[in-house]
Amino acid sequence: MFDTSPPATSPPPPARTRSSRGTALVLIACTVVACAVVASVALGARDISPPEVVRILLHPHGTGYDSHVLWTERIPRTLLGLTVGAALGASGLMMQALTMNPLADPGVLGIEQGAAMFVVLGILFLGVTGVTGYFWLALAGAAFTATLVYLIGTRTNVGSSTLGLVLAGVALAAVMSSLITLLVVRDEAVYAHLRFWSMGQLTGRAKVLDEILPFAIAGLLLALPFGRTLNVLSMGEEAARGLGIRVERSQLLGAAVAVLLCAAATAAVGPVAFVGLVAAHCARMLTGADHRWSLPLSMACGAILLIGADIAGRLVLDHGEIQVGVMTAVVGTPFFVWLARRRNLVRV
Amino acid sequence: MELITRVTSVDPTLRDATLARLRADRRARSRRTVLTVSVLVAALVALLVASVLLGGVGRVEPADVLPAAFGMRTGLADYMIFRIRVPRALAALLSGALFGLAGALYQRLVRNPLATPDIVGISAGAGAGATTVLLLAPALPLGAPLAAVTGSLVLLAAVYALSLRGGLNTYRLVLVGIGLSGVCTAYTNYLFSVADQHSIAVAMRWLIGSVNGVDWTGVTTLAVGLLLCVLCAARLGRPLSSMSLGDGLATGLGTSVPAARVAVLALGAGAAALATSVVGPIGFVSLISGPIAARLVGADRAFGVAPFVGAALVLGADVLAQNAPLISPVPTGVLTALLGAPYFVWLILRRRPGATS
Repeated sequence: MFDTSPPATSPPPPARTRSSRGTALVLIACTVVACAVVASVALGARDISPPEVVRILLHPHGTGYDSHVLWTERIPRTLLGLTVGAALGASGLMMQALTMNPLADPGVLGIEQGAAMFVVLGILFLGVTGVTGYFWLALAGAAFTATLVYLIGTRTNVGSSTLGLVLAGVALAAVMSSLITLLVVRDEAVYAHLRFWSMGQLTGRAKVLDEILPFAIAGLLLALPFGRTLNVLSMGEEAARGLGIRVERSQLLGAAVAVLLCAAATAAVGPVAFVGLVAAHCARMLTGADHRWSLPLSMACGAILLIGADIAGRLVLDHGEIQVGVMTAVVGTPFFVWLARRRNLVRV
Repeated sequence: MELITRVTSVDPTLRDATLARLRADRRARSRRTVLTVSVLVAALVALLVASVLLGGVGRVEPADVLPAAFGMRTGLADYMIFRIRVPRALAALLSGALFGLAGALYQRLVRNPLATPDIVGISAGAGAGATTVLLLAPALPLGAPLAAVTGSLVLLAAVYALSLRGGLNTYRLVLVGIGLSGVCTAYTNYLFSVADQHSIAVAMRWLIGSVNGVDWTGVTTLAVGLLLCVLCAARLGRPLSSMSLGDGLATGLGTSVPAARVAVLALGAGAAALATSVVGPIGFVSLISGPIAARLVGADRAFGVAPFVGAALVLGADVLAQNAPLISPVPTGVLTALLGAPYFVWLILRRRPGATS
């Protein structure tokens, strides 16, 4: 395998070139996101011709089956994919920057499973219904799991803290999904519902969008100005302290925003692994180590990835579709394996 | 080396005393192994009896239990005991032994407690293979075991090839395995979402692992598999113990190291796959059996004791899964994961390099 990651020691180009390059990249990313959105609205199991799509979009209150499909299924689904993808991309990048671990991802570290476990607990014992309730539960679960994974992962004795975090995540994900099974296995209806939810999919979640949008947008807006702080933190604690950053507070705040984004995504569509991982690495390959640019780019990459995976899942089969969680696992695993093979990643 | 020369050059009485002490130590450890195995066998028998007697819902007259267990009754007793509970208990026992054997083989070979078939994703590969055949071509004779073994070997080859980069690195092996098992689980999940007819019991078995609903055909598969694997493992015992001295010394002692390594890896994958093809990917059993056995009898003898530990773990977890208050009935794999994952965390927190087998 060849190593295409940017060399860490390359001399920084002049500031103006970099920022204009960053602007260009963000513009290109926005264009690709727009293309993905258009494709997601236009493509699907039911063939609707492009002129027809435009006509329906211009007449929002039209009748007819095509109009119904577009307005109640494809458009909400696309917007949901956009929001969740951006949230996961930002969350993945922030987790990687804060833990300085290239394999960090809300799914790989088991944080999404923890969020899902708390949602199931809430549904069964607190009678929570509605996505707003799910969100608060998911937030509690994600924060709890993230703390636990961090505490275990940074104290392991397996030779590398990269691996320690991943192993702690795997163990906690196993515990959390077993607990979910333990809670739901006796009720066939609940089980059937949760099993599809636990795979992560965008189908039939149109109603979710309105409720989750405020949380996701709040998280994304909170994350955007964090690039500068992440840049300083990545220079090491001493240097950051010298530059006037309150290290512990910034780290805690960053972790809180990352967990919030991950919780919003999980509450909306269920656990979707690998999106944050792939998006963060793609963004960093494009822009280099400057988090002011890689953070928005990671959001865009996450959105493109999730929408792309969703479109592919719709088109691969003649009838029916593949859940987006399965598709992202298929795309993300080769990436994960490739990262794991890099020599400088895993120290013996 | 220097020590040995010094021992041989000192006066004979001291040498004899040392040798006597070493022999006594060895005898003591043998006694300890025999004692541990007898206790484990007794526990297994007790658990078998408990599993057959308690066994979930439905009541059978106590007088009918023993004859029914050997197939000498008809009607309800025959159905409950001979068709459901006895195969279930035996499947738990045999699959646990297979998982324990597979884990101990890998841990002995790689010398790292983390590199076991369930962590490296081989159980997930076997599960994916078995599920494919069961859902897409269920009529194939012996389809599930063969597909599971094929799936596990394919996954083993993929993990091995992908983590081989300037020598085999255990941690890279574990990471690659974690990644690939993610794909296999996603694939199994996807198969269940497209297959129309499936019940919770079937999905549970293939996603989490459960001994619920195993019939006598499954028990036969497991028994034949265990017999074959134990025979092969016995043949590989010598190469394995010479390889534990290091590859160079093992070659000097007449072991063909690459061939033996491939044989051990394939045998472990096969054992895990045969168990998985009947009861699904019951997690963490192959991971924790080896270290528990090492605690009981010491690292060098753990290999023979691990299958007993694995059998006791799965059978005990299944008795709990069927009868424990509040939680029963649950799939067996849930309980082994809930017991095994904390142990796994403890292992990665406490492990000093080279401390365990």
